[in-house]
Amino acid sequence: MGQAPNLSPAALATAAVVALLAAAPLCLGDNQSPTGGAWLRLRPQLYGSRDIAEGDEQLMSIEAPASTPDPAATPVVVHFGKALEGKVKQVRVIIDNNPSPLVATMDLKPGLLVDEIDLRVRIDRFSSVRAIAETGDGRLEMASTWVNAAGGCSTPPSATEGGMLGQIRFRPSSDDKALQISIRHPNNSGFQVDPRSGDFIPPHFIAHIRLSAGGQTLMEADTGISLSENPTLRIATDGALSAPVTVDATDVPTEAHFTATWQGTASATPN
Amino acid sequence: MLSAASAGASSPPPSATARSARAPLACFLAAAFYAGILATPAAALSVPAFTLTEVAPGVFVHSGKQLALDAPGHDDIANIGFVAGKRCVAVIDTGGSVRVGRRLRSAIAQRTPLPICYVINTHVHVDHLLGNAAFRDSAAKFVGHAQLGDALIRSRDVFLKDYAADLDAPPSAAQIIGPQLSVAVGSDLELDLGDRRLTLHAWPKAHTDCDLSVYDRVSGTLWSGDLLFVARTPALDGSLKGWLSVIDVLAGMHVTRVVPGHGPVRADLPAALAPERRYLEDLLTGVRAQIAKGNPMQTAIKEVDPPEKTTWLLWDATHPRNVARAYQELEWE
Repeated sequence: MGQAPNLSPAALATAAVVALLAAAPLCLGDNQSPTGGAWLRLRPQLYGSRDIAEGDEQLMSIEAPASTPDPAATPVVVHFGKALEGKVKQVRVIIDNNPSPLVATMDLKPGLLVDEIDLRVRIDRFSSVRAIAETGDGRLEMASTWVNAAGGCSTPPSATEGGMLGQIRFRPSSDDKALQISIRHPNNSGFQVDPRSGDFIPPHFIAHIRLSAGGQTLMEADTGISLSENPTLRIATDGALSAPVTVDATDVPTEAHFTATWQGTASATPN
Repeated sequence: MLSAASAGASSPPPSATARSARAPLACFLAAAFYAGILATPAAALSVPAFTLTEVAPGVFVHSGKQLALDAPGHDDIANIGFVAGKRCVAVIDTGGSVRVGRRLRSAIAQRTPLPICYVINTHVHVDHLLGNAAFRDSAAKFVGHAQLGDALIRSRDVFLKDYAADLDAPPSAAQIIGPQLSVAVGSDLELDLGDRRLTLHAWPKAHTDCDLSVYDRVSGTLWSGDLLFVARTPALDGSLKGWLSVIDVLAGMHVTRVVPGHGPVRADLPAALAPERRYLEDLLTGVRAQIAKGNPMQTAIKEVDPPEKTTWLLWDATHPRNVARAYQELEWE
């Protein structure tokens, strides 16, 4: 900056803001550190004093936009490296600064060659987003990233609200190695306001998702209000996914069941 | 994130604006250190004059700056102004802070002794509406789309929290003022300013779910609100398909000039709409193709990259969000 004496005050102010945004990850304040906030409380609850290895991108990484384009629907992708493929027995995704930090706990079928799991999440404010994988032999591996956001949990229902509750869409990738599952559901967080009454809309969300193939469970996921409206889950595997894949989702508090089976085409077959 | 356009603009100081205040002070100091800046130069504190241009007799426009919504000066980015009849004045949008609303109000008082009888909001976004409180103690009636009240209630907490510095301290819900007169889709409202009637038209979901346009027949001036963006990347917060349908209708209107929500006033409405329509069509086509390929949203955000990106301001701050929004709308087709 020193070599640019002609910069206007406004440009300097702009530069300060840009630098501020760029420098955000340098700031390890009380509730913004990867070891602070909700994680400090959750860690002993979920993992006791077990060792958690961290930061080996060859094993696992997590990807999310540094500044989310849409706080109410932010894509978060967990990648597993070759060394972890088929070895992961459980993976959790946690957004430290959300009102309900635990996004999902996903138990995977032993040996399932998953190399990527995507979720679409609400992010309420600047937060660390982390994934913790547990392998079959009891090792824990963590990866984390930062997302800047505002108001994701209170964002009103989107332009796509409505539709048939519980309608399920399957979208395979062109190479059939990945399958995206979307469930039409408001996934009300309990933090959204009903404009007519002025009251909070009560929570109503998908709490459990089960994926199965040929009678075998591929994944059991406990999910919560940090999943976006119209909850979306995508899994990518090392080889082609074999149809049929059945999804069975349950919401709370109504305990409604939504189920559909992917037959290897792009359209859902409700059963 | 910030375009080159921001560097030349005169802006108020970057004193804790709501959005940048989200990071703790320590971050700001660290950032200032890394940027080699330790203090805001005093010159930045001078407030530039509030300009109002008379684009037609009795029609006055204050042009917003092309700044990002989190930049210093972000409360003065929308086109706002007023129309004067023989009897009274209608304000159209009030700016992004009570401060800007007050500056508009005093600028109006310098131009005309007539009272303000209406304050019209073209939609729910902060940059067009947070100045409303500056008109609270006037005799003006607030006017908006029938959906505006609901949209404001849903957004209120975010406004109070994230835009606190743009309201009077302490920020209060009473400063976020919804319409007393509302306009429903399908039934236009005429407002008589004295030998001058404004036609208010409420649109179906497009840029937002509460877009309202104002047409002044005397001068042939259409205030489009954010249904039309000129130069600044259009921001999608309603329905992409809905917006394209509205553009088709707008393009058939015969007007003498249009005051867009952002960007310069234009004489040729269909020509002014053309770049926006091209962008939104490219967004629609691009996102649909991504969904058809089975690509997830994050891939769509990276790959939907229309060629006209270099012609729009603030692209990086707006386009990725548009893709995310469009994806969520179109994935249920």
